[in-house]
Amino acid sequence: MKNRIFSALAVALLTTAVLSGCKKDGDSSEPTVGTVAFEVENMVGAKDVALDGTAYATASGETFTVTTLKYYLSNIKFSKADGSTYAAPGEYHLVDAAKPSSTSFTVSNVPVGNYTGVSFVVGVDSTTTKGDPLALAGDLNPANNMYWVWATGHIFLKLEGTVTSTNPAKALTCHIGGYRAPYNAIVTASPSLGGATLPVQANHAPTIRLAANVLKIFDGPTPIALSTFPTAMAPSAASVQVANNYAAGMFTVKQVAAN
Amino acid sequence: MHFRRLIGSQVYWQQAALVWAGVALLGASSCEPGRPTAQAAVPGTAQPANFPKMVYELAKNQPNAATFALGRQLFYDTRLSSSGTVSCGSCHQQSRAFTDGQALAVGVGHRLSTRNAPTLQNMRWRRGFMADGGVLGLELQALAPLTSAVEMNTPLATALAKLNADPDYRRQFAAIYGPREIDTPQFLRALAQFTAALTSANSRYDHYVRHEAGGTLTAPELRGRALFVVKCAGCHATDLFTDESFRNNGLDRAFPHDSGRAHITSHPTDAGRFKVPSLRNVARTAPYMHDGRFATLPQVLAHYAHGVQPSPTLDPLLRQPSGRLGIVLSAQQQVDLLTFLNTLTDSAFLANPQLAPPQPPGLATAFRAPK
Repeated sequence: MKNRIFSALAVALLTTAVLSGCKKDGDSSEPTVGTVAFEVENMVGAKDVALDGTAYATASGETFTVTTLKYYLSNIKFSKADGSTYAAPGEYHLVDAAKPSSTSFTVSNVPVGNYTGVSFVVGVDSTTTKGDPLALAGDLNPANNMYWVWATGHIFLKLEGTVTSTNPAKALTCHIGGYRAPYNAIVTASPSLGGATLPVQANHAPTIRLAANVLKIFDGPTPIALSTFPTAMAPSAASVQVANNYAAGMFTVKQVAAN
Repeated sequence: MHFRRLIGSQVYWQQAALVWAGVALLGASSCEPGRPTAQAAVPGTAQPANFPKMVYELAKNQPNAATFALGRQLFYDTRLSSSGTVSCGSCHQQSRAFTDGQALAVGVGHRLSTRNAPTLQNMRWRRGFMADGGVLGLELQALAPLTSAVEMNTPLATALAKLNADPDYRRQFAAIYGPREIDTPQFLRALAQFTAALTSANSRYDHYVRHEAGGTLTAPELRGRALFVVKCAGCHATDLFTDESFRNNGLDRAFPHDSGRAHITSHPTDAGRFKVPSLRNVARTAPYMHDGRFATLPQVLAHYAHGVQPSPTLDPLLRQPSGRLGIVLSAQQQVDLLTFLNTLTDSAFLANPQLAPPQPPGLATAFRAPK
């Protein structure tokens, strides 16, 4: 009896070895995929964001400080001039202005080619955010404090600080999330490459340098006054407006480096 | 990268463990007949014949004795609260069908929750959790009370740090998931092995419907059951005694403090709608309603008979064709219904030693009867 089981195991192992061998043979041609590196610079207007109490001014002259700036970039897509696209699977990156290591990441296994466009979700898709907790590791881990247990879903963007132009000063609490209609805050940003080409090759990792401008969270299709902005800690009409703002203008491509 | 991921993944360890467990069992079976399998050692894994199909299937988190024991230890561990005094088991006490007897749950520093602690039973058959259905999975559910400031008040990162700092927990987690840092999926899935095991399917009513020994109902109980089917089963459906829907049962005319399902969906049509609770072990789960406002079952039945309040979202089943609100129930019918509801008490579940707080190691020795 035991012998038969071990025979079966041995057959299974051999089969696995043979199958993986076959796969390797098929892969022996030129590599057909490359890597794209992303670097994000978190800014307020033209200045790098500082989390040390530095006051910044909006276009309308309101002033505020930033203590926390965190957001997800996911579902990264590259497009070519012919309209074809490549959607990179499993990319979920939590950018945290307090953690320099979080502001750069790479996307591997991108088919080689010259890409002319890039887009990404600022946040997390609903399938992943409400899915199997096995996915809740790494950047998606609820331990990162970017998660609403009560509504089962990630906080897509968190901006905290103080509005200093009101009297008295008031807390700036902007937690954007939610994927249920009517307050679905999953938005996609498609910053223009400005005519540049992103050349993905097997031996080169081009870099996209992005600027993320905090001012555009409140200045976009629906300009929002900090003095009247309510504390946002749940899906709401205001949070959808904020999401549409940051989708429209927060992210710009500073440079595409072919490397 | 992918290969490394597979090796590091829980699936790998589970599969490896299953293969070895299988080999070990086959090897052992010849010399020790009747030895329980790893799965049988975990309670609540069987599909009761009178239940709908499981939602949280065994394969989603394959039960085994070691993980169940770990989940049980986590469930009853007060160190997971910020004060070190509150465990999951504080508000979910076995003898009360995993409720706490309080109107509103009491957390660290005697802080009051906004809702009544719900029963934990037959979790494998649930789709949404909490009275408003906001939490979408059994594994995730544990994070709500853990992190709530008025319950256990422990950020997840803190809980994980505590577990990782404890050699005993590290050893147990490593034996199951492999030797690496204890992370969120490990923690949640281990805990879910315990909550998923809380299957209550052996009340006298269950024995009756399954035609098993001990399954006799008295004439008043049978009258109550017939009434129940007509008057109550529209919401308390199937042998789970809930259809898992969200309904406004007419407690109030407006819902300014707790809008229930609307808190999650933002739809005004969901204001005042709360999850239909199961009625299993209902005689043991007082007080009642999402805010614990009714101390006794007779008060609950009296509410449905003549206390239902109108509001735009009141459930249609509580509007009679005549325009009268509530359910037509005579005093005698209420008595019969109560008699039937008592048959839903599952004493074996409420006293199953496998579901009780684990004995600290060494205690069994300490309490050994003197020679």
